[in-house]
Amino acid sequence: MLTSFEKLIFILMVAVFGGLTAWGFYQIYRIIRRGRPAARFTHVIPQTVKALLEVGLQKPMYKSRPILTTFHALIFFGFSYYILVNVNDLLEGFLPGYSTAEVSAGIIGLLNLLGDVLSIGVLVGVAAFLVRRFIAKDKRLEYNKDVLLLPGVAQGGIKRDSLIVGLFILCHVGSRFTGQALRLAEMGATNPAQPFAGALSLLLRALPPSAFAPAIHASWWIAIGLIVVFLPYFIISKHVHIMAAPLNLALAKQAERGRLDPATSPTNGQGQALPLPGAATLADLAWPRLMDAYACIMCNRCQDVCPAHNSMRPLSPSALEINKRYWLNANFNAFAGGASSPPLTEWAISPEAVWACTTCYACVRVCPVGNEPMADIIDLRRRLVNDGAELDSGVQSTLEKIGKTGNSFGQAARNRAKWAASLDFKIKDVRKEPAEFLWFVGDYASFDARVQEITRTVARVLKSAGVDFGILYEAEKNSGNDVRRVGEEGLFEQLAEQNVAAMSKCTFERVITTDPHTLNALKNEYPDYGGKWETIHYTRLLAQLIDAGKLQLQHKLSHYRVTFHDPCYLGRYNNGFNPPRALIRAAGCEFVEMPRNKENSYCCGAGGGQIWMGSTPVGERPAENRIREALAALDPSADGAGGNAKRLLFVVSCPKDVVMYSDAVKTTGNEGKIEVRDIIQLIAEAMGEGRLLTSNHKPQNAIPA
Amino acid sequence: MNIVVPIKQIPNLTDELEINGDGTGLDHDALQYVLNEFDEHAIEEAVLAKEAAGGTVTVIGVDTTGELDGALHTALAKGADKAARITGDFPRGTDSHTQAKLLANAIRSLSPDLVLTGVQAADDRDGQIGPMIAAHLGLPYVGVVTGVAVKDGKAIVHKEYAGGLMGEFEVSLPMVVGVQAAHQPPRYAPVSKVRQIAKTAKIDEIAGDEAAGAGSTVRRMFKPEAAGHAEMWEGGPEEVAEKIAALIKEKGLLKG
Amino acid sequence: MSNDVLILAEHLKGKVSDISFEMTGKGRQLAVAFGGKAVAVMLGSGAAALAATLGADSVLYVDDPALAEFNPQAYGRVLAALINDRAPRLVMVGNTSMGMDLAAGLSVTAGLPLMAYVNGLAAEGGALAATSQIYGGKIQAEAVPDGEACVVSCLAGAFPADAGRVGAGLVPALEQIASPVPLADLQIKFVRMIEPQSGDVDITQQPILVSIGRGIGGQENIELAQELAEALGTAVSASRPVTDAGWLPKTRQVGKSGLTVKPKIYLAFGISGAPEHLEGMRGAETIIAVNTDPKAPIFDVAHYGATCDMLDLLPALTEKIKA
Ligand SMILES: Cc1cc2nc3c(=O)[nH]c(=O)nc-3n(C[C@H](O)[C@H](O)[C@H](O)COP(=O)(O)OP(=O)(O)OC[C@H]3O[C@@H](n4cnc5c(N)ncnc54)[C@H](O)[C@@H]3O)c2cc1C
Ligand code: SF4
Ligand code: SF4
Repeated sequence: MLTSFEKLIFILMVAVFGGLTAWGFYQIYRIIRRGRPAARFTHVIPQTVKALLEVGLQKPMYKSRPILTTFHALIFFGFSYYILVNVNDLLEGFLPGYSTAEVSAGIIGLLNLLGDVLSIGVLVGVAAFLVRRFIAKDKRLEYNKDVLLLPGVAQGGIKRDSLIVGLFILCHVGSRFTGQALRLAEMGATNPAQPFAGALSLLLRALPPSAFAPAIHASWWIAIGLIVVFLPYFIISKHVHIMAAPLNLALAKQAERGRLDPATSPTNGQGQALPLPGAATLADLAWPRLMDAYACIMCNRCQDVCPAHNSMRPLSPSALEINKRYWLNANFNAFAGGASSPPLTEWAISPEAVWACTTCYACVRVCPVGNEPMADIIDLRRRLVNDGAELDSGVQSTLEKIGKTGNSFGQAARNRAKWAASLDFKIKDVRKEPAEFLWFVGDYASFDARVQEITRTVARVLKSAGVDFGILYEAEKNSGNDVRRVGEEGLFEQLAEQNVAAMSKCTFERVITTDPHTLNALKNEYPDYGGKWETIHYTRLLAQLIDAGKLQLQHKLSHYRVTFHDPCYLGRYNNGFNPPRALIRAAGCEFVEMPRNKENSYCCGAGGGQIWMGSTPVGERPAENRIREALAALDPSADGAGGNAKRLLFVVSCPKDVVMYSDAVKTTGNEGKIEVRDIIQLIAEAMGEGRLLTSNHKPQNAIPA
Repeated sequence: MNIVVPIKQIPNLTDELEINGDGTGLDHDALQYVLNEFDEHAIEEAVLAKEAAGGTVTVIGVDTTGELDGALHTALAKGADKAARITGDFPRGTDSHTQAKLLANAIRSLSPDLVLTGVQAADDRDGQIGPMIAAHLGLPYVGVVTGVAVKDGKAIVHKEYAGGLMGEFEVSLPMVVGVQAAHQPPRYAPVSKVRQIAKTAKIDEIAGDEAAGAGSTVRRMFKPEAAGHAEMWEGGPEEVAEKIAALIKEKGLLKG
Repeated sequence: MSNDVLILAEHLKGKVSDISFEMTGKGRQLAVAFGGKAVAVMLGSGAAALAATLGADSVLYVDDPALAEFNPQAYGRVLAALINDRAPRLVMVGNTSMGMDLAAGLSVTAGLPLMAYVNGLAAEGGALAATSQIYGGKIQAEAVPDGEACVVSCLAGAFPADAGRVGAGLVPALEQIASPVPLADLQIKFVRMIEPQSGDVDITQQPILVSIGRGIGGQENIELAQELAEALGTAVSASRPVTDAGWLPKTRQVGKSGLTVKPKIYLAFGISGAPEHLEGMRGAETIIAVNTDPKAPIFDVAHYGATCDMLDLLPALTEKIKA
């Protein structure tokens, strides 16, 4: 149907815009190559297949925001299908006499039907997004005060980009759809395979006959020509994610979530200067982190789930990715050609934001395109620590304490097992006699007066269940999990080496930990330092013991209505979702899930060194937010005024959580309404050992009778 | 500018301190030794002064623990340029007079412009080493200093008095300063750097001569009472108020 | 050698510091035991009136323009000359900002032993024993000088001040002399005094703190604590819940995520004693805790405790202080 002249123009356009686009992609490739090396090319083929399948089903996106994701899926399916449709349109344009608009049978008929329906889908989806962004003004697309934003971002660049692309899609799909309707109208035909376009065509029949030909040409150009014109714009718009996202997913990190990428790229040794750890500028980041910037769809899902963001701190993981992307757009050729960026802390993320991260992994988990903003943050911390930047006073003094004494409490090493002194039995010294389990107790469980009673309870329950276990006594040191996550790589290595050396001298089969942070370091990171043992959390061991009938629970604690908080480093990081729930069930408590549970669990705010910080931020603390969530879920009013009111418990399985949430219950003014308990306390009570409540958990008449 | 920082290791005060068998000293072997916190500030102030006015920082100490190198490596990682260790038969808890004399002898040959050291240490029973070093070297000394600025062969120092009042002095160099606080909190030394330095750094070794001695002898060492649990006052608000007021008065903290 | 006790009196901004009276009182007691005299020494310029307030057996006032303000070098020289001249049995210096600049140096130049951080002095049968408070107050060490003469530096508040004031019939002989040594060529020059910045009070600088916790009950009661603090001339500090609630500014928070304080007296009212709080105030010299719960962990670190209601106690104490 196209005239020869039109054909020529089109071919020229493809050459020019296509060439420009290809060059753009090559530049992006060079940009990503500027990042430091990272091992990412393992299992590429199965990963790619998996990524394509996942993208095909839009699975990564359904991790959150189901309704919006459905609109996105409409656009995605429509657009994917449009590849076929557009090829057909091209053929129609270039092959004289080839026309399919009116065909209703066979393959072409099916193609038409799907195209027609999906066109409407895309139009609805895009309209929904535009409404959300420009009329409903979704709060989730805004940033906290003091979040560092590049001028382009701050001035609404993302909105403009959305608008351009939204309009492009509306024009492209709308025009193609209208084109179909025009052609049916010109022919005076109806096509059951094009119900929507057919309906429109009935209206268009009213046009004067001379108008059809130019209108059909115009609609072709607006639909197909526009794509070609638009290709280079993709390079700078967030819609390059269409290409970058699947690639990012295919090349995503394979290792355990809890194993951080190395602080430096591997050197080939030979006398070259040691590279500085972590990252200061863009090119210091590992290359997948640069790809993140291109994959990012600027959806802010990561910000939604970020505890730092939600307590009004100036951290936004999405702003970080978006800033990176905008900076690259602005310095596209220069950076591809080798120019270096100013320090990231000057334009991508503020130092205060860097130190606000709890390393909860929620942003990484939720990101539909496989980005890892947290990895950037840890790399920045690593370099700041290395460069002797001024650290938060609490973090610095804690690191110094750990460096000097091996524990974050600055206590003498010989006090580490003091908690065990008041037990009526002696715990094996695994350095002196073999044991089946080496129990790595951890700092908080060993030293914090509020947790020690719980630690003793763990010991008594294990003992009662006939578990053969021992501890390292003063040879145990801080596991270094959080030390590593505040960026003190050297101290982490030192601790890992010391712990592995101490443990290597002992005879045992498996390791148990009470602290999920410790669990994470031992299980996922110590293997790199020669510590290759099976490490499990005590909740898993207890669940196994109950299954095996070795741990018998006498009482049903049905007078408790409880909810459970998944600690980041037990749940999201190490998939320890089920054992705690199994234990609660076994203890006979009434169990209620909080809305944010398991993979979606909300950080208590302690991780990544936050518990060491010398300054408290002003907004609602994550732990307080969580206590309110728990109370809403447990709904204390549900029992009515009867005498059978249940006591509400907030059950945790991490020593730091005991501290954080006991505090939050107080600060939210909910003492007496809800109590914080460690899971071991429920087990002990259900075993019939009596009520093992510490002084911080004095039995109270929680609910007035 | 040639800056020298004499340092001292003391027991970690978070440890439970135990008295030795004959009751005249600490059970040093059971203790972990750490750098005196005021010396940390002296090192910081020295590095800041060097960063501002140029020069070199030499950190020097008497090795009473066999573990002084750790502290020296940390100081190097924080920006000191050279480190020296005085060796000899000087056990843990060696008195201040002995340490000051050994340090003064070693420092004399370094002909420093500025000696910065911690204003005091928790174990200075026989006095602070800063003024002693100054006396041995015949140099002026100002202590309880919270900031040093060097210009044209002179130092401007701020000395703190009670209640936040501050005296400003101008001192012609060389001099000895007892640092109370650096004008910036002491920086953190990343462990990877310290470990790297531990592998490569050279520490000068100086043989110390004999001990000067404290000039006094400890007859008895003991822990003050009332550690462990508060002494409880009985009675109602009036009685308790009476007791508190008396204690405040006794401590000389009543205004007026 | 004489059996005299030489006491260095301090003064700052026209006021004799309490430490001077504290040492003078103690010095007189010791001089009696030694069979000598207590000689208070004051250095200054036109400050004879100040010197006259010292209740020693005799007061030696050294007047020189170079001594108008404290100058460690000038003070050191004059004292060294006086010690050389009079060969006292005991030299008493404050373990204060001024005294700490002098004692250890004098010990070296005069060749006398020094015992520092002294909070107890006794003359047993004419021989001196000094108790030093060391290791951050965790240990007391009782020592005797190897020779007869020595220098001690005394902690503020260790001895009663009233015993060292003029009065009760004692009118010391005041002798005014010029500096025995030249003071023209000093390397140390006093430049100026810098007053502490006014602004919100710095709780780390207060010798005494009224610290309140959630036991205060509510914002309406903060005033009770403020009144006590005012009477004491200090500020109110608090545990985190109190600053969290906005009842006091963040700058008043003591603890891990607040400030670390080391006052002479820390009044902990209605504070349970969570580890995060203890971290910030453990170093206080004397801790007095008032808490209705006798099992509150604060009592494990406090020196004195009581279990009465802080809301009753606050006004009662304010009254006592004002009286
Ligand atoms: C990471 C982290 C950092 C923290 N940082 C700090 C910090 O820097 N500083 C800090 O203080 N806390 C900090 N906390 C909080 C700390 O854990 C405690 O929650 C807090 O110190 C408790 O304050 P409180 O003693 O005032 O309150 P509570 O523990 O509630 O104690 C109130 C006390 O008052 C007593 N009481 C009640 N009424 C009266 C009355 N009428 N008369 C006398 N006594 C009465 C009660 O018996 C009780 O003992 C932190 C917590 C975390 C998790
Ligand atoms: S890891 Fe958690 S705290 Fe850190 S940026 Fe991601 S979501 Fe926010
Ligand atoms: S990083 Fe991921 S979750 Fe965050 S805005 Fe970008 S695409 Fe969305």
